[in-house]
Amino acid sequence: MNNPIKLGIVGLGKMGILHAGITNSISGTNVTAICEKESFLTTAAKAFLPKRIAVYKDYQKMMTEEQLDAVFITTPIGTHASIVNDLLKSNTALSIFVEKPLASSYEEAKVACEAATRSRGVHMVGFQKRFSPVFQKAKQLIEQGIMGDPMFFRGYCFSSDVLREGSAWRFRKNTGGVLLDSAPHLLDLLIWFFGEPTSTMAIKKQVYSSEVEDYVHAVISYESGLQGHVDACWSVSNFRLPEFLIEIYGRDGILTATDDYVKFAPGRGSTKMGGAQTYHRQSFETSPPFLLADIDYTMEDVAFLNAVRTRTKLEPSFLQGAKVNALIDRILESTQKG
Amino acid sequence: MSHLSQERARDRTDRLNIESIVEVICSALSCGATGYTFSTHPTNSQILSALGTSGKVPHQFDLYPVVPYAEGYVRLANEKGMTGLVNEILSRLSLPDKAKLLVEGGVSALRLDPAGMLKTYLDAELKGYLSTKPKNANLQSVLLHEVLTDLCLGLGEIDLLNVFAQHVHDNYNAKPGFVTYNFPRFIEFFEGKGFSLNGAVIMTPFNSLGYQMSPSRDACKATLSNLGEGHVIAMSIMAGGYLKLDEAIEYVLNLPNLTGVAVGVSSKEHAQTTFTRLSSRTSQTSELVRRPNGLGQ
Repeated sequence: MNNPIKLGIVGLGKMGILHAGITNSISGTNVTAICEKESFLTTAAKAFLPKRIAVYKDYQKMMTEEQLDAVFITTPIGTHASIVNDLLKSNTALSIFVEKPLASSYEEAKVACEAATRSRGVHMVGFQKRFSPVFQKAKQLIEQGIMGDPMFFRGYCFSSDVLREGSAWRFRKNTGGVLLDSAPHLLDLLIWFFGEPTSTMAIKKQVYSSEVEDYVHAVISYESGLQGHVDACWSVSNFRLPEFLIEIYGRDGILTATDDYVKFAPGRGSTKMGGAQTYHRQSFETSPPFLLADIDYTMEDVAFLNAVRTRTKLEPSFLQGAKVNALIDRILESTQKG
Repeated sequence: MSHLSQERARDRTDRLNIESIVEVICSALSCGATGYTFSTHPTNSQILSALGTSGKVPHQFDLYPVVPYAEGYVRLANEKGMTGLVNEILSRLSLPDKAKLLVEGGVSALRLDPAGMLKTYLDAELKGYLSTKPKNANLQSVLLHEVLTDLCLGLGEIDLLNVFAQHVHDNYNAKPGFVTYNFPRFIEFFEGKGFSLNGAVIMTPFNSLGYQMSPSRDACKATLSNLGEGHVIAMSIMAGGYLKLDEAIEYVLNLPNLTGVAVGVSSKEHAQTTFTRLSSRTSQTSELVRRPNGLGQ
């Protein structure tokens, strides 16, 4: 593809605005259309955005009137799968980026995956932490087996996003809760590091929200015998920014990965070469073509657009996204069993 | 504030109350800092007020507020959705300000005049801070947060940046300012559109690692070397706490065309060490860094 990629954005929330800003700045890509069904936001988009960007209320109309190469879906989670399905019916060559998670349930995720199998485009889910140089280094160290046979792990994602009940869709049953909101990043990293788990046991708690969980604790087990636990809470009061941590305890030492650093502390008597190692995010050489929020978002969008241009598959695909939804469903199911 | 890791930032934030922040600022000013840069987080209004009544501010100093407090709005957008966010912002405006924007109240009646909205919003956002500022504080510049500067840059939207610059210049007797993580592109964008940066302040990361410097450290340095106009203040000089102060200073001292540096500190001792060292190094060498101006919040 030599012509500029023509891009559409469906859903003008904060993630839609973020991806519009990043992708439009990348050479060889033009955001040409935006779709938002809330009248006020449509009017605001027409007033604030450059006039060359067409604004629609209906994505079917956008697909009819625009010759788009790719679309970013950044709508509420519960609408993702049906929009994917509709868009790919309109244009089987369309490439689609869906903001995480892929869907609000595994059943819905399967609808998106099914639609993607009939398409010639590239399909990706927005798990941007896979594009963080720090988590990429962690993945590399795990694959090298730096900590020896892993015995167990612990992980968390904590934020102060919810200190009172909100009115947005992320507080509504079936489309919200911490498990669908920030935990998918943590669960995707675990699947990326260790594959799909075989069983889970979990508990959940409502603190501020009346319909959804604010806290989840899950024990996750793998066929290999590896086990660990994760905590997800969006109501911890002193987190200026969301924080993610995965710590793996192996026979030869402990590997800790966060957004800020990855660290290996060798155990006593460890024969591993290299000894203690720490890599901070600042120490990775990066050349992002543009920065708007974290570098992870830029690198994620660059990877997607490159794949669209070259028509090559990339991860995390819809199938990977569906695995996360399957795990979320199992954790929720487990909490209901008590 | 060091952001080497969120854990460390959290630990330090927990220790600071308004009184100790005032101590930190006064200590920095005593050791050579000439200004204070801060976001429009509600706590900063209390800090300015406490500074004024403390009687400890050693000399005249400059203020560089950064608007808006973006993290707060992201949280509100999560909580209430985008329309809910706008409703919330409107509800915080005074009646006369609301009257400027609304025909009969409510979001659907909003007159969508982007320039008018931006100006009214800015005035409302800044009002609380300017009314509480100490008598010996001079509003040097009002800076647009990097999220908005870089979003306009990404979308190719020059008009709003220009409205912002004009409004700050005309109404606040201060220099318009922009925080950006895309310095070369920002300069190209303004110059390409035929707008002048004369008098504007640009706050942007400069450090030996190229951290937060898009597209690269070398490209940012080249743009700085060729800078025709504008006052550039280097931020993130310690790359979020990763570099040692001396190596950070060493790098920025060798950069051309810098007007100042903004450094975050988190304790009285930290402020003393940082600004004493910065002041001594800048007076020994040329005037490359004349204005070690600020404390990040």
